Amino acid sequence: MKAEVRLEKLKGAVALTERAAGKHSTLPVLSCILIDAKKNSLTLRATNLDIGIEVDIPSKSDGEASFAVPAHTLSSFLSQAGDKDQIATLESSNGNLSISLSRSRGVLKTMPFEDFPAIPTVAEGKSYSIAPEVFIRGLKAVWYSASVSSVKPELSSIYVYRDADEIVFAATDSFRLAEKRLPLPKNTPFDDVLIPFKNSVDIARALETVSGEVSVKAAKNLISFESEGTKITSRVIDGVFPDYKQIIPKGYVTEAIVLKQDLMNALKVSSVFSDAFNQVKMTIDPEKKSFEVMTKNSDIGENLTGVDASLSGEAIEVNFNCKYITDCFQSIDADSLSLQLNGKNRPLVIRPVSGSGDRMFMYIVMPMNR
Amino acid sequence: MNPTGDLSRLWQTALIEIETAVSQANFSTWFKETSILKENDGTIYLGVPNSFTQEWLRKKFHNAILRILRQMNGNVRALEYIIVKEDGKVVGMKKQAVPPPTMAMPLQDFYINKDDNLNPRYTFDTFVVGPFNELAHAASLTVIKAPGQAYNPLFLYGDTGRGKTHLMQAVGNQIKKDFPNKKVFYMTSERFGSELLAALQEGKAQQFKDKYRKYDVLIMDDVQFFSGKEKFQEEFFHLFNMYKDTGRQLVFSSDKHPNIITGLEDRLRGRFNAGMVLDIPEPDQESRMVIVKAKCGMHNISLPAEAIDLIASSIKDNIREIEGVVNIIACQIQLKNRDLSINEIRNILKNNTKPKKLLSVKEVVKAVSDFYNIEEDMIYNKTRRKEVVRPRQVVMYILREDFNVSFPSIGDKLGGRDHTTVIHSYNKMREDLKTDPILSQEIGQLRSML
Repeated sequence: MKAEVRLEKLKGAVALTERAAGKHSTLPVLSCILIDAKKNSLTLRATNLDIGIEVDIPSKSDGEASFAVPAHTLSSFLSQAGDKDQIATLESSNGNLSISLSRSRGVLKTMPFEDFPAIPTVAEGKSYSIAPEVFIRGLKAVWYSASVSSVKPELSSIYVYRDADEIVFAATDSFRLAEKRLPLPKNTPFDDVLIPFKNSVDIARALETVSGEVSVKAAKNLISFESEGTKITSRVIDGVFPDYKQIIPKGYVTEAIVLKQDLMNALKVSSVFSDAFNQVKMTIDPEKKSFEVMTKNSDIGENLTGVDASLSGEAIEVNFNCKYITDCFQSIDADSLSLQLNGKNRPLVIRPVSGSGDRMFMYIVMPMNR
Repeated sequence: MNPTGDLSRLWQTALIEIETAVSQANFSTWFKETSILKENDGTIYLGVPNSFTQEWLRKKFHNAILRILRQMNGNVRALEYIIVKEDGKVVGMKKQAVPPPTMAMPLQDFYINKDDNLNPRYTFDTFVVGPFNELAHAASLTVIKAPGQAYNPLFLYGDTGRGKTHLMQAVGNQIKKDFPNKKVFYMTSERFGSELLAALQEGKAQQFKDKYRKYDVLIMDDVQFFSGKEKFQEEFFHLFNMYKDTGRQLVFSSDKHPNIITGLEDRLRGRFNAGMVLDIPEPDQESRMVIVKAKCGMHNISLPAEAIDLIASSIKDNIREIEGVVNIIACQIQLKNRDLSINEIRNILKNNTKPKKLLSVKEVVKAVSDFYNIEEDMIYNKTRRKEVVRPRQVVMYILREDFNVSFPSIGDKLGGRDHTTVIHSYNKMREDLKTDPILSQEIGQLRSML
């Protein structure tokens, strides 16, 4: 068998599928990318049994063959290719895979491809088309808030659900919570789903490579995204996400409107002096028109930085984990944001201030209790 | 049907066979987290951890597994795969010595399943059974064995914070687990009312009816809310009959016995009474101690016996209050990073339990005479008419029992009676209370009005 393929396409497909290849699997073949050569196409496939990615690329081949080659070796070899290389030629050589570029040729050891598992397909469930940006933006806006511990599977997931004509993405590790809303086209037969946050990173990256609409199909245990020869299949959590709406404070006692950049700079300076818990003390006094952030570390020193802000409500002094606050800046495009506080030991609500889209993103941070 | 023990033995032997037939890597990847869930009519249901395993076992190993199972048990005819729900795994997590300084959101309270409104946190495992609620507990267990057949409706009543909601939701959760085909729905009667109102206003009465007709088990909390709302009662009455006639289970709760919920239509009252009406009374001292211990266990704290005793004897009637106090203690232990002294706990109790309201004797007398519909003055008078004697004794009893007023001063305030008269009345009430349920209900109601 001899197959010719555009190097750029092959590299892209390898980079994408490599993300799904298993790293510490008990089954060695899972660290491989399975390459299926057919007459007009090359299919690359990888899975760690949690997520599976499959990419079809056009190629010219004189026969059919399958190879399971270690993902890491393959991608490292291809990344060395020079600028002049346009075409890669794949051949089988004594059961191994030979890849020829203009100047170099690699022979990669293969593993028995028969052991490479099939990626499951979503059998039942409704399918719908949606712009990939919806999922990319939604997942990226909240994924940092999910819990990294696996004790509660639903909290290490991103909850995606419908609320009237909006699609809502929410994630929380119980110390902070992020919620992103995006318009959902009418009559999309959408089902609520809990996507493991680890997979959501791979899903978003993979979706970034496709253009046009993506077809989504979700069932109780599995979700798949399919577009232009790329197919991503992820496990989903069969569970219940907490009804977090009850945590969102109804009003506020103190509000500060600040420029995002100002607050970012102030927190950046103060983080130099923060302690092991990243504690930052916020002191807001609307009467004195002062908003200060303070950090203290017995080994390093301390810092007090003022922030320009428009303030209203009652004076307050409250401590937060600085990292939890700075995390949300990546999800706020607006220049200004509003911080709403409800007194000591009550959560802080951060929202963008831009006019129309203010309610589309919301972030809640719990205070520190000492 | 095979008992579960046999099934697990069957699978253990099958795994030994399979292990020799496939490579070690394949075995540990695909078979490690599998188990036989059940067997039904020759079909073995194999539990697998995810769709990936399900797909690959079906594709690659199906015939081999089936052959091996058949060799061991000739009755096996087919093999199905079921994905087992993941329970949180604790992977090499060290117990944190220092609690994270950021407060956690109370998310555990908000796990509410959208389809049935049940909070999965409420289960029988977390329900503390004591002498005071064992009857209600036993009745609930009977209901979940055969929903709709025994005790329909099951009606639980008792004051707030006695665990009615917990028990009802546990019934719902357990039925869901044991009878996956039965649709369970939990709601408060208040929500039923507001949904009905909205449906009527929008002209969607039919949709409303259809919605509530599709469940197999309906659990309704706080039905005393229906009091005086005729339209709700009317709609609810028809729903009730439909459930009862089609053998579907109903579970209700209320703060009072249906007979003394005012403003309830007689036909509804009768229907509530037709099932099993059970009281969850005030928990006894031992039960309260067990509850305190259980709540401490949930927070991973342990309190000395003296402290447990103190908490249990300070909060008598409300489990929710016990929970609140234990929460505060746990929080303080976390904050201070040390155990609390008995005095500190005493202070917490003082600051966080419902303060006894201070009422004048006159106010008590007014409330009681209003309740029994007699003139206030009669209480202070010397008259010995039967309809006055009883209320007067009730006043004395309440003053002594709830407000700790001394016998001589009660006598003095109620028209200059001798303290021995008061003692006699007090003792008589105590005796009567043991045998007279109506009297105890009356006093219970009076207390809630004071």
